Amino acid sequence: MVEKAKIGTMWLGGCSGCHLSIADFHESLLDVMELADFEFSPVLMDTKYDEVPELDVLIVEGGIRNEENRELAEELREKANFVISYGTCAAYGGIPGLGNLHTVEELEKEAYINSPSTPNEEGIIPNEDVPALESRVRPLNEAIDVDLVVPGCPPRSDVVAEAVIALLKGETVELPTTNLCDVCPREKPPEGLAMDVIKRQFEIGKPEDDLCLIPQGLICMGPATISLCGAECPSIAIQCRGCYGPTSKVMDQGAKMISAIASDYGIEEDKTIDPEQVADQLDDIVGTFYTYTLPAALIPAKMQKGGK
Amino acid sequence: MAEDDVKIVMFCCNWCSYGGADTAGTSRMQYPPNIRVIRVMCSGRIEPQFVLKAFREGADGVIVAGCHHGDCHYDAGNYKLDRRMRLVYKLAEDMGIGKERIYHDWISASEGEKFADTVKMMVTRIKELGSAPLKEQLDAEA
Repeated sequence: MVEKAKIGTMWLGGCSGCHLSIADFHESLLDVMELADFEFSPVLMDTKYDEVPELDVLIVEGGIRNEENRELAEELREKANFVISYGTCAAYGGIPGLGNLHTVEELEKEAYINSPSTPNEEGIIPNEDVPALESRVRPLNEAIDVDLVVPGCPPRSDVVAEAVIALLKGETVELPTTNLCDVCPREKPPEGLAMDVIKRQFEIGKPEDDLCLIPQGLICMGPATISLCGAECPSIAIQCRGCYGPTSKVMDQGAKMISAIASDYGIEEDKTIDPEQVADQLDDIVGTFYTYTLPAALIPAKMQKGGK
Repeated sequence: MAEDDVKIVMFCCNWCSYGGADTAGTSRMQYPPNIRVIRVMCSGRIEPQFVLKAFREGADGVIVAGCHHGDCHYDAGNYKLDRRMRLVYKLAEDMGIGKERIYHDWISASEGEKFADTVKMMVTRIKELGSAPLKEQLDAEA
């Protein structure tokens, strides 16, 4: 019998949701198990950090939020032949990355003192036995070398199963380079995208069937998002929030989308529309456009001291 | 900060603002040497990514210049830039860069003087604000 490959999985600054998508491999789990065994997985089995076996493939979920994350990432990198940065947190920082808008002191105060569900009359901020937070959230590839990035929040099980099986068979895995609109079933207006108002989902109720969401006033991140998910959300009338991150051709997903929305907005009355109008309708620029990718953006964290 | 250390990246469109820079040059107008001009075919091509990348690479300020409204060689590129820049100002404010570090204006090919004045104004403004913190902060962490 051929020796099976050893797979390890690890969680860092994430929510373990990506592990659920591994657990949800369903029938393709049988195909994976034929080629490999799970040898190390703190989420799914009892493991010791000082007894990590040599691994062929390591799947890492979550970004680098605290010192422990970094230490474990470095330690496991030495044990593993091939590291997959798995899920949006590992790839781009993910939702925890919005913490980069605040300093570590602000975050700790909010979590341990201001939070109404945390009785802490003496106002103690724990600093023993708790790993210290790093100055900001970073994607995994800023701490260790990564061999493959599979984004998603969480990545679709079938996509990942396919990637893992291909890898185990020694094939190369390639991510698509097209954006979501390329695979989206909704119809784009033939005269081009144009929007004249920006609304939130609850304000428009049920969007029109089969018509692209952007002309209907929703900020759909599809134009700046990789087509890996197969446009699941837009096909059921929910706007894309960009959870799979940008394609490899784009440096900064949020900035790319800002560019797209600003151009589409009022394009039919280009010369008469008040240029301030589109900015006025968007209150939370970072929260809208950088929900998942702030730590990997060109400006990855809020500059302190008011930019001075 | 010393005036010599001020670094400003300036994006100019080929048809008007770059011509404006030419006019300033050929008519020997004096302006500070702190700008690095990048020519693009149309101001409508300038993406927020370009502006953010400039800061990431260590610029202290960014100027974006295009044709006056109605003069765009491609009809309406500058109108799109105008809307885009309003969002960039807001983003810069949210990310702690400060919107004062970014400036966009319209400079035609004949307005050499306006070109020189814009550069002078921006250099003075950045000199007062001090160097942009982004690159420093990121370098210090690395």
